[in-house]
Amino acid sequence: MWPEYTEQSDNFGGKNKMIRVTDDVIIKTIARVLTPFIQVYALYVIMHGHHSPGGGFQGGVILAASLILLLITHGWAETKKKFSETKTAVFCAVGVLIYTGIGVLCIFMGGNFLDYGKLGGLLMVIPPEARSLGILGVEIGVGITVMAVMFSIFFDTSTGGNSPEDETTSSLR
Amino acid sequence: MEVTLLVQATDDAFRTLENARQQAIGLLDTAVGLTAETRSVQKKNIQAIFRGAQETRSKLQNFIGTFFLMFVFWVLLSGRFDTFHLTLGIICCLFISLLSYDLLFANIRIGDYGLVVRRFLSYAPWLIYQIILSNFHVAALALKPNLPVDPHVMKFKTKLETDISWVTLANSITLTPGTITMDIKDGEFYVHALDKKVADDLDTGEMEDRIAHIFMEADHIYVQDALDVARIYGAIR
Repeated sequence: MWPEYTEQSDNFGGKNKMIRVTDDVIIKTIARVLTPFIQVYALYVIMHGHHSPGGGFQGGVILAASLILLLITHGWAETKKKFSETKTAVFCAVGVLIYTGIGVLCIFMGGNFLDYGKLGGLLMVIPPEARSLGILGVEIGVGITVMAVMFSIFFDTSTGGNSPEDETTSSLR
Repeated sequence: MEVTLLVQATDDAFRTLENARQQAIGLLDTAVGLTAETRSVQKKNIQAIFRGAQETRSKLQNFIGTFFLMFVFWVLLSGRFDTFHLTLGIICCLFISLLSYDLLFANIRIGDYGLVVRRFLSYAPWLIYQIILSNFHVAALALKPNLPVDPHVMKFKTKLETDISWVTLANSITLTPGTITMDIKDGEFYVHALDKKVADDLDTGEMEDRIAHIFMEADHIYVQDALDVARIYGAIR
């Protein structure tokens, strides 16, 4: 009754059972429709982190989860259009740069590390508002890094370190 | 002299008449051509509506559609209407639309989307009623001491065409107690049914008909569909 299992071409030569195009139309469609909503929810959690529960870490994890959902349902070829391994490395660094950049900027403005109140002069607002904006900036940085690292952890554990991008670059060398 | 003038005048009159006739013929030809053209365009439009022709929308249309849907979702989540948070929302929704504009409207058809949403909303109460009915049936089955269940897997070919309607049907079947959609393979549904009655209820195909009606699919045209199409046809004209 059941059709035989066929290896998908997107399966890294049949080695990886996790990252492949699923042949279940229900899972595929629901994942496709839900992904943008999950991503907006993730950004909502990041952006409202200084008002309500949530913040950079949680939002970043949700954002990574949406990409992982896409990866395990639509396969690598589809996910590559949105997020790739090279982008992972860049985003990891950019997030940390935003975080430390804001921290060091506070030192330059004459305060301590991450002393947001001192940013008021730079942003032309009163210190409490500057604190709110500073926390928002730091949380965006945290969110970017967490998203990239979570995606990287999933991708590396599921492929065992043999990523398709490595193969293409090594053949170029 | 007068005779010559008379002949000339007659000639002129004839020439004018001939010109007028030529012009009239030209006008009529153009009119006929235009009518034929309009007819073929209208015919194509109607065919598109009835067949539910698949349309590949442009990137920009998908982008704008995703953006507005996401912004509505953002406002629902956020609940803050000051400029700062709305601006953040616009930036975030633009980013998400750039990232995944091709996901939400990947497999979409020509049609009146307001109508689809309204029909879906009117389908929901019927589904809830069915769920309650089969809930009682399954509860009665479970409470009977001799447990008269007859579990089996049934297989049927659907007439629905798009993935979104397949998923709606599959989830409606799963939501109804007693039946579970196990898999969809090439338009064939594998459904696990608890006993003969729930399987027969599913076999009548009423649920499928209603979903075909929502998404205006298959060869299934209700009287309501004809009326709706007449309205759309009027709008096209």
